[in-house]
Amino acid sequence: MEGRSPWYLAYRRLRRNRVALAFGALFVAIVVFVLAAPLWADHVAHTGPNATHTTEKVEVDGEAREVVNLEGRPIEPLFFGAGGEFFLGADGRLGRDEMVRLMYGGRVSIFVGIVSTLIATLLATALGLLAGYYRGWADAAISRTLDVIWAFPVILLAIALGLSLAIGGLQVGPLSLSGSSIWVPILIIAFVYTPYMARPIRGAVLSLREREFVEAAVAQGAGPLRVMFGELLPNLLSTLIVFFTLGVANSMLLESTLSFLGVGVQAPNTSWGTMIGGGFELISTAPLLTVIPGTMILLTVLAINVLGDGLRDALDPKSKLRLEAHSGIAEPEGTAV
Amino acid sequence: MRKLPATFAVLGLVVIALSISSCGGDASGKEGGTLTGSYASFPDYLDPGLSYSQEGWLAMYNTYLPLLTYKHADGAEGAEIVPALAESLPEISADKKTYTLTLRKGLKYSDGAPVEASDFAATVERLFEIESPGSPFYEGIVGAEEFAAGKANDIAGIETDDKTGKITIELTSPRGTFTNELAMLFVALLPPDTPARNLSTDPPPATGPYEIVESEPGRGWSYARNPQWAKSNGEAMPDLPDGHVDKIEISIVRNGATQVNEIERDKTDWMQTIVPADLFNKVKDKYEGAQFRVERPINLYFFWMNTQQPPFDDLKARQAVNYAIDSEALERIYAGSLSAAHQILPEGVPGHEAFDLYPHDMAKAKALFAEADPADRDITVWTNNESPSDDAGAYFNDVLGKLGFNAKLKTINADNYYTVIGNAETPDLDTGFTAWIPDYPNPNGFFQPLLSGESIAPIYNSNFAKMDDPKLNAKVAKLSEEQLGPEQEDEYRALDREYMEQAPWAPFGTNTLSTFVSSAIDLDEVIFNPTMGQDLTSFQLK
Repeated sequence: MEGRSPWYLAYRRLRRNRVALAFGALFVAIVVFVLAAPLWADHVAHTGPNATHTTEKVEVDGEAREVVNLEGRPIEPLFFGAGGEFFLGADGRLGRDEMVRLMYGGRVSIFVGIVSTLIATLLATALGLLAGYYRGWADAAISRTLDVIWAFPVILLAIALGLSLAIGGLQVGPLSLSGSSIWVPILIIAFVYTPYMARPIRGAVLSLREREFVEAAVAQGAGPLRVMFGELLPNLLSTLIVFFTLGVANSMLLESTLSFLGVGVQAPNTSWGTMIGGGFELISTAPLLTVIPGTMILLTVLAINVLGDGLRDALDPKSKLRLEAHSGIAEPEGTAV
Repeated sequence: MRKLPATFAVLGLVVIALSISSCGGDASGKEGGTLTGSYASFPDYLDPGLSYSQEGWLAMYNTYLPLLTYKHADGAEGAEIVPALAESLPEISADKKTYTLTLRKGLKYSDGAPVEASDFAATVERLFEIESPGSPFYEGIVGAEEFAAGKANDIAGIETDDKTGKITIELTSPRGTFTNELAMLFVALLPPDTPARNLSTDPPPATGPYEIVESEPGRGWSYARNPQWAKSNGEAMPDLPDGHVDKIEISIVRNGATQVNEIERDKTDWMQTIVPADLFNKVKDKYEGAQFRVERPINLYFFWMNTQQPPFDDLKARQAVNYAIDSEALERIYAGSLSAAHQILPEGVPGHEAFDLYPHDMAKAKALFAEADPADRDITVWTNNESPSDDAGAYFNDVLGKLGFNAKLKTINADNYYTVIGNAETPDLDTGFTAWIPDYPNPNGFFQPLLSGESIAPIYNSNFAKMDDPKLNAKVAKLSEEQLGPEQEDEYRALDREYMEQAPWAPFGTNTLSTFVSSAIDLDEVIFNPTMGQDLTSFQLK
């Protein structure tokens, strides 16, 4: 009887999980939607995400209407009433096209979510491998350092870093970032989430290094690097994929929170979080400016979370580890996940 | 009993009606009662020596009195300086360096202690001891710098006589705005033993019609009538108002919408904060006239351009920007609360005369830009993250892009904004947003700090355009030594035009404020002083 690879088995398990697949398709649809931003901006809306139209008028059913009225109220969604221009209305008193900003903002939100989680995953993997494999002083130094970061509430730490870096930017050796750089929130989010991934990875490595295949590799003369990257890392891969997927959702939520508070993505860049922040001021007169980007965050995070849960069930059905990003607690060993 | 003819009866009614109306608002309103108000945040300080904000000055305008004060009146009349604790306006020597005033007789602090002329010297000395932000205004007094440096026990340039109440102040050089500076709350008289520390939680005794009886930073504060006002101070200062209500209670309500809601439900009588932008027009439409009024304080909103480096060292580039700015767009961005202005001196400041050298004309702007043809088109546009300054900056950034610049918007935290753009070390200070609220309604408060070459400083610079024209500098320097009068107003009027011909800024308007009161308050009686804000003595319950 022919043996099946673990990846093939995982694929079969995922294929049977129709809910996870449906939400996976939703996430793909959202990604395609935001990637189409330049097409929509150039060929339908005929405007960019930062172009202002405060005093301009738009023709709707033969009637010229102000994009922003004299009282500063933006035009409501026109859908295809003006050939796709101001499909979701204007974004506020600057009269920017809400649909175009929603698409470009989504690119930033998803980019920040993915890249910051990728950085956090890489850092956490390296630290977890070192601490778990070497143990002793290396483990103590890494774990205590992570404990210090862990001791701060995630959002407060991120706000504090965001506030200070938004003003002066980041200068570390040759690395120089201005306060308005998109890389500032990315690095902040990666920094605050690294301990939440590194701790469970270290636990997994501590467990794996006692297994026979590691002993066999060492007996064959494999050095620490080969054991870590040749033996341990492949066995962590399924866990890392799950961590990464769920981490993207958390990072997107944190980016939205920071941007809403004005310490995340900085103008002229826009994200769904900054759009909620900008629209919040007009919530009583133009609630859609808050509801629409809020709904996009909700759908994206929900899609990634359900897909992540599906991936976890498919890749590692016996996993004893689970990232609890918000509580900061890894479930105790023996708990069914 | 004989009946009165109908004609006499009608005449009698008319006479009664006229006699009632001639009594003014007082007759229709009620004396006494409690006024409740809300602030969005606690003022910077409730200590007259330390507060440097309109919120703080409003809170203490009727509590702590300087020797001089601003007339309790709306509009331009409210910019007039009148005697408060002093008997009259100062006598100024021929060399314009010595000011002599006399304290009114019989004045007392709210704790019953007498107000002495020497308290003025102690009050000014306290400013230096507590490192008050107001102390620089008084560094021009002879001996003040020595006192501040700890080289003298008192300020040699202040001489007082408690018996006669005479106060003589000698300045190192003539200073045309010193009368305004004597009307600032920083020099409101306090007892000589007032501790040299922040007294926001334990406010010192008052000299005005009200005293602060309770203060809890972050939560609110309350006033009661100053018992000494009825006994002595009110009689000694008959030209200052007594106030109508007996108590005033101010609470901190951080959410603007909640403040509006509480007034609509008559839970609070007044909100100090401007009605939030998204509710502004709704409130205006519903309550204007009866409970809501737009107020015009003295301020100016403008975009500055760094005149000392490319591309804005070229006059044509600066003029192009002025033509490109569309006030109509900015009025919408400010949701109708902005009143367009295209000059240095806003309405309400002596010397103001409306003109517009650069009416919006994008074609003309582009033509001037083409003539300037700047080699360096990469510019950074600075603004802060406070709404709608952020939107104003984004609009300006977009306009500069349409004009032909490679503009990059830099939005930074409002708390640090002026420190950052006022630091010469900050890179790429090309152009940006500024809102300027002068310390007093004197035209010098615009030209001297904002446009005079001698104001260019390495830190805390307020001449953001780095304007340094020797001919104009000399005119500002000359005027800064002179007391404001009709002749000086004419010179300031001309100076306004001369500066705008150089286009160091693109001014775009003055921002209005609002007074919104509950149905229990007589709005017609409420005074809005352009420097101090709403006058708490003018609030009267119906």
